[in-house]
Amino acid sequence: MTISLHSDEEHFADYPVIIHNISPRFSPHAYLTMAYIGFGGAYNEDGMDIEATGPKVTVREATQDHVDFVLQSTSLSLANSLRRAMLAEVPTVCIDQVQILSNTSVLPDEFIAHRLGLIPLDSRGCEPDMLFQRECDCGGDCERCAVILELACKCEREGTMMVFARDLIIVDARPNEYVGQPVIRDPKGNGPLIAKLRRGQELRVRCTAIKGIAKEHAKWAPTAAVGFEYDPNNKLRHVDYWYEENAKDEWPVDPRNANWESEDTAADAAFDPDATPGAFFFDVEGVGTLDPDQIVQEGIKVLQNKLALVIQGLGGGSDNDNNNTNTNATNGAVGAGGATPFGAGGVQDQAYGGAGDHTSYGGYPAGGATAYGGGGATSYGTPYGAPGQNGYGY
Amino acid sequence: MTNKPEPFEQFLLAEGEKKVEMTLDTRMPNTCIFKFNKEDHTLGNLLRARLLQDRRVTFAAYKVPHPLFPTFELRVQTDGSLSPKEALLQACRDSVSDLNTLSREFTKEYELRKMVNEGRENGI
Ligand SMILES: [Zn+2]
Repeated sequence: MTISLHSDEEHFADYPVIIHNISPRFSPHAYLTMAYIGFGGAYNEDGMDIEATGPKVTVREATQDHVDFVLQSTSLSLANSLRRAMLAEVPTVCIDQVQILSNTSVLPDEFIAHRLGLIPLDSRGCEPDMLFQRECDCGGDCERCAVILELACKCEREGTMMVFARDLIIVDARPNEYVGQPVIRDPKGNGPLIAKLRRGQELRVRCTAIKGIAKEHAKWAPTAAVGFEYDPNNKLRHVDYWYEENAKDEWPVDPRNANWESEDTAADAAFDPDATPGAFFFDVEGVGTLDPDQIVQEGIKVLQNKLALVIQGLGGGSDNDNNNTNTNATNGAVGAGGATPFGAGGVQDQAYGGAGDHTSYGGYPAGGATAYGGGGATSYGTPYGAPGQNGYGY
Repeated sequence: MTNKPEPFEQFLLAEGEKKVEMTLDTRMPNTCIFKFNKEDHTLGNLLRARLLQDRRVTFAAYKVPHPLFPTFELRVQTDGSLSPKEALLQACRDSVSDLNTLSREFTKEYELRKMVNEGRENGI
């Protein structure tokens, strides 16, 4: 299925990645017809594909801990990589070391340490405010890389005393005003139950919470679940459903996703072997440690950082970067694209290490001049580097 | 006591280890094999798909040689109008720019949705 993207393409031909008209996105119906339109297929004479519009997003639902959105005009690979990045590589803050000062409860030390590790802690702004401990040169627990929480409970009376997450008290300074606070959502303000104490039993611990990713331990996962679906009517035949009598009757379909797709993906439409998936349905549910939009944005950043490391590893920009007109065009696009999310939006100013800031990605000089910019005559604004510096500084 | 690998070995480069190692595939013209260390399908599949969108790339595929080792190999062949390395760099840059667009679009859409929600709460 070869596609010229859609009418917008003509309109925006001169501005590869500049801002789009907002109005069509007020209504999801505007996209119904293009739900199935794949990406790619459109190339200019240099062989690069045009993709003048880039990925499209429609947010269908947003609540405190959950965001439901549809991704369009992008590849299955990119959508799936975003899903994987959000699941496993977005940094959050969790208790990682527990010093048991006294434990006369019925639970063994390890049991309690494990429970403490699983308590969700507010992680807003841990990226970029907080450093990974292994990248901090303090050699211990400093206020840039660790949050210390203490718990001291003793049951003095007859009956059972409940020890809750709210009893964890932050001591010492911390990277910002959010990081490390237990997430408490129940009406009574207790938070998760840690242990129960009988008369005379006591629990005193000192915990160190640090930044980490779920690839190291699942407790750092920012998400409780990430729903991901494409081609709900199985038009592409990527799935071969098992069935008793009739697959259609026996397998559930999410009508919201199924109806999103246009006519040619309806379950009874003819099979098109060249079709590519065009709409990806995400349902991101957070644990409460990060706002759902932050999970998505940080997932995007994780991917960008990976790519930046590859560019740096290959020495991109240092050799013949700017000899190539395509490269220039794309660099321009990166600059234009980057300016909004990382700059004015104020959401993630220092994603790639603003001036003088420590980056959490190891030894690159913040806003370093080497990585991208080589002989580039133009400066691409501030997205990745300090203002006024020539180049990207991944 | 055991030979269980440390979990951080899945994503932290060892001392002196490089992120990407490039080897020329001498059996074919314009072909390179890139070995990525401490990376997985998240990056491998992303780059593979992106490279295939470039018409000058005649072959792009990746494999994870062994599930216990956090590496993947990406093999790239071009038609000769650019080197596999240039193609890969281009793919990376294009993906970064795509993700920029995605981030911006998401911010916009999310704010919009939140405004709608607030409007509803206030009975507008
Ligand atoms: Zn430190």
